[in-house]
Amino acid sequence: MRQYLTQVAAIVWKDLATELKTRELFSAMFVFSVLVILIFIFSINLSIVKATEVGPGVLWVAFLFAGTLGLNRSFMLEKENGCLQGLILTPADRTTIYFGKFISNLTFLLIMEAFILPLFMVFFNVDILPHLGPLLVVILLGTVGFCALGTLLSSLASNLKTREVMLPILLYPLMVPVIIGSVRMTGQVLEGVALSSMMNWVGLTLCFDVIFIGVSIMTIDHILEE
Amino acid sequence: MNEETTQEGEGGPVLLWITALALLAAMVAIFIYVPTEKTEGPVQRIMYFHIPSAWVSFLAFFVVFLSSILFLWKKEREWDIYAQASAEVGVLFCTLVLITGPIWARPIWGAWWVWDARLTLTLVLWLIYIAYLMLRAQTDAGSMRARYAAVLGIAGFLDIPLIHFSVLWWRAFHPLPKVITTEGLGKGMDPAMLATLFISLGAFTFLYFLMMGQRVRQEKIRDDIDRLKKDVLDSD
Repeated sequence: MRQYLTQVAAIVWKDLATELKTRELFSAMFVFSVLVILIFIFSINLSIVKATEVGPGVLWVAFLFAGTLGLNRSFMLEKENGCLQGLILTPADRTTIYFGKFISNLTFLLIMEAFILPLFMVFFNVDILPHLGPLLVVILLGTVGFCALGTLLSSLASNLKTREVMLPILLYPLMVPVIIGSVRMTGQVLEGVALSSMMNWVGLTLCFDVIFIGVSIMTIDHILEE
Repeated sequence: MNEETTQEGEGGPVLLWITALALLAAMVAIFIYVPTEKTEGPVQRIMYFHIPSAWVSFLAFFVVFLSSILFLWKKEREWDIYAQASAEVGVLFCTLVLITGPIWARPIWGAWWVWDARLTLTLVLWLIYIAYLMLRAQTDAGSMRARYAAVLGIAGFLDIPLIHFSVLWWRAFHPLPKVITTEGLGKGMDPAMLATLFISLGAFTFLYFLMMGQRVRQEKIRDDIDRLKKDVLDSD
């Protein structure tokens, strides 16, 4: 078990170290999601609609699009110079590659979300501070689901001819439950509703997280097989 | 189920005749036998195509799921062929559901499309399996394509209950199920209508197996041709 964790940590550390050196991915994800929010603000009239009604949707679309950039990049990096081959050849279990990639994707996305939230608060004039606790739980649940399924599908899409195009096409329809759930929960949390009154959504998102981490553990061997 | 399809694929004519007769019976039942619905009028007859198509597409996606699991387990090309054939037939019938639905909804609801739970679920399902077929088209034939498709076939089907609940809590306007109700099987419907619906369901199910069998046979012949081509090229 300890060895397993060390192996996962090594992959996570490798990704974080690459990112710390280049800072390519984080800046791209952040600027892109700010642009997404900006485009949405142009397309809706904030003086007519309530910010807490459209805001959560805009926020999650920004997370989703920026997250897709990150996922695409995640396995692309490994394709260069045959790094993925090297990882597969290491005497570690294949699921360590999945978990390593999952954790590094999750870390990037969570950091980016932490930078986007204050901007969201300013742009939409929504005070998120009183609801920060439940909001963070909701964001974490949704982001874990996104990264769990996204890492699996991006490992698969990275071997396709048109990988950048195929990842969202494969990923978004499957993400529907998390998208609806997260947008709903974020909206209600911002209205001051307690998490305990939306346990159905919390349970659904949690189920999604567990199911797709499970599916990934069981099927990653068949994807990372050369 | 899949063993049956192999036999049916080889014993084509028998299944072809059964399907043809069943479809003929369904047509007679739908257009001549069954009484016109009181409030909705003739347009209600589209239900006898709509519900069986929905049933067949769901059955087809379930077969994709089973075949995908069996492929990853046994690694036999056979299961990959079943998954592909079933996905194609499933998408076809799912498309029929999405076409017949709005034709009925326009006069009855006054709108082609509403964002109801069941409509959304069908649309999302359609998109998932279109993506599945695109994935297959994107990769060259071989073990990689089969493995990737199988992973998506499993993930897609396991997602269905989650999508179902999420869109259900999101919103629901669709007519509630009338055949399987809390009062018992078939209580919410006129017996003649129920009989027609079941004839149509049966006919469509036969049609599914017929199309599956044909598609599987076609794919096996393609494999044979590829093998022969390779042999000829190698012998030169």
